[in-house]
Amino acid sequence: MATVPDSVEIEKVCKTYASGLQALRDVTFRVAPGEFVSLLGPSGCGKSTLLLLLAGLLPVSSGSIRIDTTVVTAPRPDVGMVFQSAVLLPWRTLLDNVLLPVELLRLPRRAHEERARELLAMAGIEDFAARLPHELSGGTKQRVAICRALVLRPRLLLMDEPFSALDALTRDRMALELLRLWEQLRPTVVFVTHAIREAVFVSDRVLVMSPRPGTIGFETDVKLPRPRGLSIQESEEFNRYAGSLRRAIEAEEVV
Amino acid sequence: MSLSRLTWPLGVSAVALVVWEAAVGALGIKAVVLPRPSAIAAVVLERWPLLLEHLWPTFYQILLGFALSVVGADNYVRGLFDPDMWFALLVTATYSLITVPVQLGLGFVMAVLLVYSERIRKGVLPLIVTSQIVPKVAVAPLLVVWFGTGDLSRLLLAFLIAFFPIVINTVVGLTSVDDDYIKMARAFMGTRWQIFAKIRLPHALPLIFGGMKISITLAVIGIVVAEFVAAQRGIGYLIVMANGLLDTPLMMAAIAVLSAMGLALYGLVVALERVVVYWHVPAETTAGGTP
Repeated sequence: MATVPDSVEIEKVCKTYASGLQALRDVTFRVAPGEFVSLLGPSGCGKSTLLLLLAGLLPVSSGSIRIDTTVVTAPRPDVGMVFQSAVLLPWRTLLDNVLLPVELLRLPRRAHEERARELLAMAGIEDFAARLPHELSGGTKQRVAICRALVLRPRLLLMDEPFSALDALTRDRMALELLRLWEQLRPTVVFVTHAIREAVFVSDRVLVMSPRPGTIGFETDVKLPRPRGLSIQESEEFNRYAGSLRRAIEAEEVV
Repeated sequence: MSLSRLTWPLGVSAVALVVWEAAVGALGIKAVVLPRPSAIAAVVLERWPLLLEHLWPTFYQILLGFALSVVGADNYVRGLFDPDMWFALLVTATYSLITVPVQLGLGFVMAVLLVYSERIRKGVLPLIVTSQIVPKVAVAPLLVVWFGTGDLSRLLLAFLIAFFPIVINTVVGLTSVDDDYIKMARAFMGTRWQIFAKIRLPHALPLIFGGMKISITLAVIGIVVAEFVAAQRGIGYLIVMANGLLDTPLMMAAIAVLSAMGLALYGLVVALERVVVYWHVPAETTAGGTP
């Protein structure tokens, strides 16, 4: 089941849009294979831009991004991506939505259908496999989007504020389910969020980004034991991490 | 279709017909001015063969004009329905050969080109929009001068009137895809063609059907107007002829039959839409009333 995870090396990456807006300046960090790293910051700090660069959907202005030692110039088949909204195709059943990446790469459907059903089962939504997206809740749709990102056994999973459109209770449960999936599959994860507690809860390491232009200002290893349950959020250690990250974000904003 | 959705429009129609019937009798209006609904119904029943004879050419031309607007396909098929007009067919075929490239460039194909080529969009879209401001009804006599009194003029007019909503709706449908869907498809290694076929096109289908629903009603108008101007048969011709004979009941019978046919064609598009766009729940689309 487990795959060999990718490493990510980002070196002095700058991104300036055609409009002249500098979104990122000298961003440098490394993600170890199998590591779960969060990019935390307020909206407009360039964290989503950084993720689009990682996905190969946007070119860097300068600097370099390497995944598994190869420079990223275009999307890669071993990278899965989850967006802020589920972006499911409304005319496809949940199963067919999960199988979309298989189809786009012209891989045999038969060989992957079992895998897709397995993922839906792990997400607890196998009963809805034949349903259309409009019949389902936001949380279920986002679970499908995660299954879709995992169907080709990615070695790197990119997540762009995947739970920000969900209500607080669903959010907590989704984060927990994501960790459960991740512990079984162990891909490298780069997780973008603006929620401090969510970042602490899921991550091995949190990088704080400050805006205009986006750079990484502060980082901390989260040495909470795994597997983590929701109750860990009540622990003193958890709140200490959350507190230091909050102070770091506030300090960045003053500057 | 729920009962109340049918009962209300049918009820209102029934009341209107009763009021009409009573008013014509009470006010002593002559049949030449306004016949009773019952008299119109009687004409429909009695002169059914005549109505059908004229309905048929109108019907298939509407369908053809509509089909042209949808795919821009050529109109040779026409001849299959018209075995006794070989000469006209030859003439029309010659004309249609000339117009095939034009037709192919219009309708759906035109929309795709407009979406994918900025030059065509900038150069041709303003012309298409401008052409829509020209009243097509006024162009009808001109078409007759250019293309004769044959079927080609009629088809061209129906096409000119009907294709615009399809082009515009297709363009809007293909381009209104949320950028997140395109990003998602690209992230999962989708090619340009795959993004068109698997995302843009299905996304556009509800809007294309919206355009088709408008187009089918416009195609009816186009053919009938053309038949007003120049035709030896067809429902439009029958209406003009009945008008000349001051046969108002026949005129209204023709209009009733024409409306029923238009409604049926519209219903056909709606039925097709329900099958093709199965994931999309359309708003109130069917007219429940009777003519």
